[in-house]
Amino acid sequence: MVATSRAATVAGYLAGFALLFLIWHLASVFLVRSVLFPSPWPVFERAFVLIEDRILQEQIVASMRRILQGFLLGSAIGVPIGLAIGSFRPVRLLLEPWTEFFRFIPAVAMITVAVIWFGIGEESKVFLIAYTTIFVVIISTAAGVGAVGRDKIRAAQCLGASRMQIFALVALPATVPYILTGMRVAMANAFVTIVAAELVASNDGLGKMLWDARLFMQVEDIFVALISLGLLGFLTDRIFRLLIRAFAGRFNPTM
Amino acid sequence: MAFVALEGVGKVFRGRTGTWEAVRDFSLTLEEGEFFCLLGTSGCGKTTVLNMLAGFEAPTSGRILLDGKPVTTPGADRGVVFQGHDSLYDWLTALDNIGFGLRLRGTPKAERRATAERFLHMVGLTGQGAKHPSELSGGMKQRIQIARALANDPRILLMDEPFGALDAMTRAVLQGELSRIWAETRKTVLFITHDIEEAVALATRVGVMKRGPGGTLKAVVPVDLPFPRDRTSDGFMRAFREVHALIHEEIHGGH
Repeated sequence: MVATSRAATVAGYLAGFALLFLIWHLASVFLVRSVLFPSPWPVFERAFVLIEDRILQEQIVASMRRILQGFLLGSAIGVPIGLAIGSFRPVRLLLEPWTEFFRFIPAVAMITVAVIWFGIGEESKVFLIAYTTIFVVIISTAAGVGAVGRDKIRAAQCLGASRMQIFALVALPATVPYILTGMRVAMANAFVTIVAAELVASNDGLGKMLWDARLFMQVEDIFVALISLGLLGFLTDRIFRLLIRAFAGRFNPTM
Repeated sequence: MAFVALEGVGKVFRGRTGTWEAVRDFSLTLEEGEFFCLLGTSGCGKTTVLNMLAGFEAPTSGRILLDGKPVTTPGADRGVVFQGHDSLYDWLTALDNIGFGLRLRGTPKAERRATAERFLHMVGLTGQGAKHPSELSGGMKQRIQIARALANDPRILLMDEPFGALDAMTRAVLQGELSRIWAETRKTVLFITHDIEEAVALATRVGVMKRGPGGTLKAVVPVDLPFPRDRTSDGFMRAFREVHALIHEEIHGGH
């Protein structure tokens, strides 16, 4: 049963992508006959060349490394702060204005200060990704703590749990699905941010590749970069869904 | 000295919309080993009485004693079975839920497991221990709650309409099971319900509450019938009619 539904899922994905490329092909042949809108084949050919020359891999690794570093850093900071905000009223009163303030300053708007502070190297990218990750993770973690059922805590109290035990054995595990969901949303934001940051100020990465390709009118390269971003995001989100299912999906079928 | 004593207990809730007197001058003593059903119409304050004895809420007047010592906080000497099954830990198996109290006390794993298995068997769920709460029916979840409370070996079991959300058939089955378990363990039980038949079927004494606000104990009816109880017997009918008459006055306003 499980095997067939998984095979059906994979078949669905393959068919979906095939349909997408077919529409693209038809559009480029019959609808928009222009050098500015290549059909899939020259793009694939270009992708093979870039892969053979190891150029595409380098850009992907550069971007993904920044995303991963910033994402992990942001999560490592965001989860404890979110837990503290959700658990202690004084902390919430003190820090909630911060999160409500900063989350409306998008990471893209922070690119300029990031470059001024950290230059165009790795630090500014990692800072921006961490920045875009932190607030989403804080808010969903704090919401998760707030959503722990009253009876779950009361049950632990009358089984003899200390405050620490209630936190570690009840509140924390009950919050895990919220944390993971927040991280999944943050990961999508990280993709937006990394491209913007690399477009503006970088020596490598997929964003830089997009920018250079535009400068030299290499339309195929632009499409290779776009497709790479789509596929990477798709794969990352798949991995996240698998993780969420492994850790939390058992007791929350909606995820 | 009474095992449990509630002496002139009152509870007034103060909220934004004003004050609400939930319980007024409630006095009751419980003897060790008895099964006391507290019966009342909705809003009479019966759950508030249980919450105060559990230590979840503090009385605004009077005092509550367990073994002569005042009750101020929740503790492992008072096990609680909640009405809803949100109090179970979704991320733990049925067996780990039952053994949760023992885990809090640092009981070795093998001993914990053996005890949990014993209580899993007692509530009739042998072989279902590896399942998670989301895989269990409503009735099974309430069985797990009962096992979890009993495995912790409390002095008294507080049950807040534990079968209220179940269908009539499942409720009748669980009432029978609870009677059997009580006969095996002779645990003192305070059982809250609004179901007259349930009260008469389970209790050694039924306490009928006046309607709210300011609910208080109106009368205590001893039910001196052998277990397992025959709901069609004359004795059962007599007790039912007696309790019914008392409740009827509260529903139809004969103050």
